[in-house]
Formats: sequence, structure tokens, C-alpha cells
Amino acid sequence: MLTRVTAQTRMTTASLNLQSSAAQLARLQNTASSLKKIAVPSDDPAGTADSMRVRVAQSATAQYGRNIDDGGNWLTTIDSAMSASTAILNKVRDLTVQGANDGSLSVTAKEAIAKELEGLRSDLLAQANTTYLGRTVFAGDSDTGVAFTGTPAAYTFTGTGSPVQRPIAPNTTVQVDADGAAVFGTGGSSVFALVDNIVADLRAGVNIGSRIGAIDDATTAVVSAQSSVGARASQITKAKDANLQTSGALEAQRSDIEDVDLSQIIIQLKQQEVTYQAALAITSRTLQPTLMDFLR
Amino acid sequence: MSTFSGLTTAYTGLTAARRGLDVVGQNMTNASTVGYTRQRLTTSAIGSLAQVGPLSGRAQVGQGVSVDGVARLGDAYLDARVRTSAATSGNLAVRSNALTSIQASLHEPGTGGVSAQLLGFWSAWGDVANHPGDAAPTGVLLLQANSLVSQIAGGYNAVNDEWSETRSKLSGMADELNSAGQQVAALNGQIRSTLASGGSANELLDQRNTLTTTIAALTGGTVRDLPDGTAEVLVGGNALVTGDTFRAVNVVGSTTMAGAGASAVTLEWAGRPGFTVAVESGEMAGSVAMLAAANATGTGGSIAEAAASYNAFATYLADKVNTAHQAGGTSSGATGLDFFGVSASGPAALGLSVIPTSAADIATGTPGAGALDNANAVAIAALGSASDSPDSVWSTFVTTIGVTTKSALQQATLAESAATSASSAQLSNSSVDLDEENVNMLTFQTAYQGAARVMTAVDQMLDVLINHTGIVGR
Repeated sequence: MLTRVTAQTRMTTASLNLQSSAAQLARLQNTASSLKKIAVPSDDPAGTADSMRVRVAQSATAQYGRNIDDGGNWLTTIDSAMSASTAILNKVRDLTVQGANDGSLSVTAKEAIAKELEGLRSDLLAQANTTYLGRTVFAGDSDTGVAFTGTPAAYTFTGTGSPVQRPIAPNTTVQVDADGAAVFGTGGSSVFALVDNIVADLRAGVNIGSRIGAIDDATTAVVSAQSSVGARASQITKAKDANLQTSGALEAQRSDIEDVDLSQIIIQLKQQEVTYQAALAITSRTLQPTLMDFLR
Repeated sequence: MSTFSGLTTAYTGLTAARRGLDVVGQNMTNASTVGYTRQRLTTSAIGSLAQVGPLSGRAQVGQGVSVDGVARLGDAYLDARVRTSAATSGNLAVRSNALTSIQASLHEPGTGGVSAQLLGFWSAWGDVANHPGDAAPTGVLLLQANSLVSQIAGGYNAVNDEWSETRSKLSGMADELNSAGQQVAALNGQIRSTLASGGSANELLDQRNTLTTTIAALTGGTVRDLPDGTAEVLVGGNALVTGDTFRAVNVVGSTTMAGAGASAVTLEWAGRPGFTVAVESGEMAGSVAMLAAANATGTGGSIAEAAASYNAFATYLADKVNTAHQAGGTSSGATGLDFFGVSASGPAALGLSVIPTSAADIATGTPGAGALDNANAVAIAALGSASDSPDSVWSTFVTTIGVTTKSALQQATLAESAATSASSAQLSNSSVDLDEENVNMLTFQTAYQGAARVMTAVDQMLDVLINHTGIVGR
């Protein structure tokens, strides 16, 4: 192509070249200072979609993490309440065995045992009404505030029977409460009523030796419920590990999609800087001479 | 051939060289004037006087040099190329600018956009599911829901503002077009009379050329040069300027995005209301296309389509959450409650509101289960990870805008570089080169000296003839 070169075309071309070089430099500086590959969706529409998808997964994983922590705390609370209940029931059994020795115990001694048993029944009731962050852990999704109500002797179970569940992974939920009715029994057949009956028998002079079997049954109920709680606690612990791994993998994916490679961007930036400086230097040299410089 | 004709010949040389230097001066002083086209002195040799009669056989010399005129070294083809490429580039630049600004208002990807608010919303539902009936997580949920609603409304408003801005820019462009058209008509008149009286209209032509390029960039208007020196400017096949008459163009149609469906924004001839100006390219065609209303197939104006996407997203989100929320029951057993309210009038994106005000209004549980049941809250929290989640609808919208903007930017960049190359081809032909003018200056300077020397020689010859003839031996 026949191109006539004039001062004006040289000037225009030089300024266009400098402009595009400076724009490239500014773009790289922007990327290098934000360290983000994708500043706006048009930089990489597919990457944007991926990034948003990964962020959804990350947020869900973080939520599962919080659910797991919450569920873990419920199960820990239940576990310790059950351990305490088992200890109390063992003590009740000891006292019952002691109180069954009709011949060697005076009425005063029996009354002392009865008093102690009453105290233990109150402790047991307190354990059954254990709360975690204001929620009774044995009453399911009820909002009454206590699992067993009523002045002594009623022991009405307030739970609804529907379990409290926490989603701990996609499509996986775990029950984080224990059914108070199954653990402690309800009303007249509850373990509290059992202790009350023992106390009444003790005071009335009836031999309480026959109650030992019932106490053992109650203990077994608590222990077997506790083992189920333990199994769920271990499920939650495993879910926590899996959740940590997932969140690590997702963060790696996100970083891969969104973040720039630092060394690469610095090299690019340096190169562009050199290019721009060279363009400036060359422009300053080529724009100077005209014929007038040589006509004297 | 008279005795003194040599002096006259030398005089024509002096005159021509001086005129040449004048043209060089004009070129040099306008070396950086925008739109200036370099000029050349055109000269021709004057032949000898016609010879008649019996003694006409002698060889005759010409009578010197004649200054024929000052030529303007423009190229109509290159000018037309500049106009066409400016029209295409203007059209695409308007489109890419509007899309870029819509895209910037999305604040995606990252933590500032609707997607981040959605994630916060679902997480807040997850926390409510862990503590149903608690005031603190409920407060967070309501706050998060309100902030999501206001973010959607904010995004819609940004799109709406973009529409209004494009609309008012279009009116500004129409003013610019009308003023340019008026000036072209006036210049046409001046050029016609200047040329008719034999003058040189080069500078007027330069001015007219700059104006017609502006008109082309705005409307894609084409230019037809007529034999009388005037130029006819055609927009969409109809004449904007013929000779020294000019027809104004008006912008008509809705001034709000909501009204664009009923009364589309178009250009019409001021003199013939109701007759649309069919602009095919240029910035105004780009603006008119961007301002078109949204349609069912999603091929309407990009701005209105983005607004429609905001509305569709708001409706979808409200439907999804409300359907799930209605299925659940509150702690007091109430069921069938909505979570989001959608205003029946106006755009959905602006009419979205959060209905519950406290934990008692939120349907966290399965109806019939205990007061602190969380099954429904868990189900709503899980909406965010479902395959048909509002998040995926939003992500599709963002990706669509991203893809459209990317291709618009690429097209605009290509058109821009075509326009740059056309205008540098034009510059390369028409701009003044100082070196060249220096050489011309030397040429004319030397020619002047030469002509002056001829004059001196003739003068000395005459001096010999007049003053020294017949005085030999005196």
C-alpha cells in the first residue's frame, strides 16, 4: 500500500501506540494490585459462572460446618447429662440395696436413705431437664422449656416425639436430641416415679428389694440411649473432618478460578513496563527530526 | 514578439512563485488544523501568441506561466471510508458502553453482588433452622432478606438510570445532528456561490467534510457530491441536507423505561411528524436499539432486557421462597404464610418486600410438629443449593450479560481499529508533511530567484540596447 507518511500521521500513530501500551499497563497494574483474574463478568463469562457456583458450594459447606458444630454441642450436652444420670441411677441402686436390709436398719436410718433418694430423684429430674442454649435436649422440638413437668408424681413428658435434626452434608441429616420418653419413661412409669415409689415403700416399711430389677432396667434404658448418642456423635465427628476437607478443596477451586498467579503477573507487568518505556523513548527520538533541522 | 515580452514572462514566473510560497505558507500554518486538507498550486505554461499571416513561419516561445488555481488534495473514496467506519464504530461503541456500565452495576463476581447477598440469605435460614424461634438468628435473617431486596432494587435502579441516561444522550445527539446538518446546508450555499464566482472553496470544503463525518458517526448518513459543489447528505435514504435546505430530526417516544413498550423511542422528521427516520448505523441507531423495550423472546433492547431479567429473578426468588414458606407452619401453628411480598403494580424488582417482622411470623417447622421444629427452615435453606435455585437463575443472567458484553467489546474494538485505520489512511493522504512543504518552499524560492534573474538579464539587455547603442567611439 502506498502510504504517505507525514508529521501528523507519525504523531497520531505514536500517540495511539503509546495509548494502547499505557492501557495494557494499566490493565496489568489493576490485575496485579487486586490479584483477581475476573474483575467483571465479561473478562471470563464461563469463569464467572464457575466462580458463582463454587461460592454457592462454599457457603453451603460453611453452613453444614455450623450445623455440625451445633449438633455436636447438642450431643455432647446429652452425653454428659446421660453419664450423670447413669451415675445417679447407680447411686440409687446402691441406696436401694442398702435400704432393702430390713432387719439391720432403724427407721431413722431408712428415713435418711429416703431423704437421700429424694435428693437423687431431684438431681435426676434436673438432668432430664438439661438445656442447651435454652432448648431442653430431651424434649425434641417442644418449646415448654422443661422436658418433664408437673409437681412430683406427675412427671408429664412435654416432648412431641418428633426428633431434632441437623443437616450435616448434602442429603444427610442426623438426629441431635434424645427422646426423653425412651430414656427416662413418662408419668407413672418414669424413672422418677420409680424412685418416688421406692421412697414411699421405704417409709411405709415395705421391702424395696424387689425394685432393684426395675432400677436396672431404667439404667439399661439410659445406657443404651447413650450408646446411640455416642454413635451419632462419632458420625458428626467424621462429618466434621469430611466438611473440613471439602471446604479446603472448594477454596482451592475458587482460588484457581478467581486468583491470578503472582509470579506470572509480576513478570507480565515488568515486561509491559519495559515495553512502555521503550515506546516512550522511541517516540521521543522519532518525532524530533524534520528537514528544518538540517537546512541552515 | 515584442521587445519587452521577456519582462512579462519573468513577471509571470515571479507571481507564480509568490503564489506557490503563499500556498506553502497556508499548508505549513495549518499543519495541525483538524480536518485541513493539503493544497497545491496548479500552474500551466502559457503558449505563444497565435500567428497568422505570411510571416508566421518563425519559431515562437511561450508567454510564461499561468496560475490556474489551488487544488485541494483530498480523496473522496478515503473520506467515504472514514464516514462508513465511523458510523459502524459509533454504533458498536454505544452498545458496548451501555453493556459495560450495566455489567459494572452487577458487582459480580465477588462479595458485593446479589449472589453474595443470596448466599447470606440462605445461610441466615440455616442459622434460623439451628435455633428456631430465637430472636437473634431471626433478626439476622430479616436483615439479610431486606438487604437482598434492596440490592435487587438497587440493581434495577442502576439499569433504569442507564436507560434514562442513554435516552437523554440520544436527545443530545439529535441536537448535535441538527446543528451539524444546519451548518452543512449553510456551507453548501457558500460553496456554491464561491465556486460559481470562480473562487476557491477549499477551506469551506474541509469544514463541510468534518461536519459530514460527524453526521455519519451519528447516523451513518451517506454523502453525495453534486456537480454544483454542494453535497447531499442522506440519512436512511432520505435527504437530511439538499443544497442549502436542511430537514431537522426529532427524538420521539417514551422518556421512561417503563413506557418504552407502549411508545417506542424513535427518530422522526420534524417537518413530517409520524415519519420515522430509518437510521441504520451510527451512534443514534445504536442508542435507539439499546432503548427498545424488552420482548418475550429476550431479543429486545439490552437495557430493558436486563431490567426484565431483574424482574424475572425477583419474581422467581419470591415464588420459590414463598412456596416453601407456605408449606411450613409458625410456632403458633399458622400456615400458608408468604415470606416475600410482591407488589402487584410496577416492576417486581422494586416491589419486593419482606413480610415477617419477628420470629413468630416465620414458618420454621412442619405444620403439626412441635413449636420449635426446624424442618421447613432446613428445606428453605437448602433451596440455595438446589439445581433450580434462584442462585442459578441469577448466575445465568450474569453470565448472559458477561457474554453479551464480551462480544460487544470485541466488536467495538474491531470497529474502532477499522475506524482508526480509515482515518489514518485519510490523514496519510490529506495531512501536511513539513518536509515536503520545506522542499516546495525551496523550489518556489529558487524559482523566484530564477525569474528575478531572468528579469535582470532582460533589463541589462535593454539597457545595452537603449543606453549604449550608437555611442561607439564617442
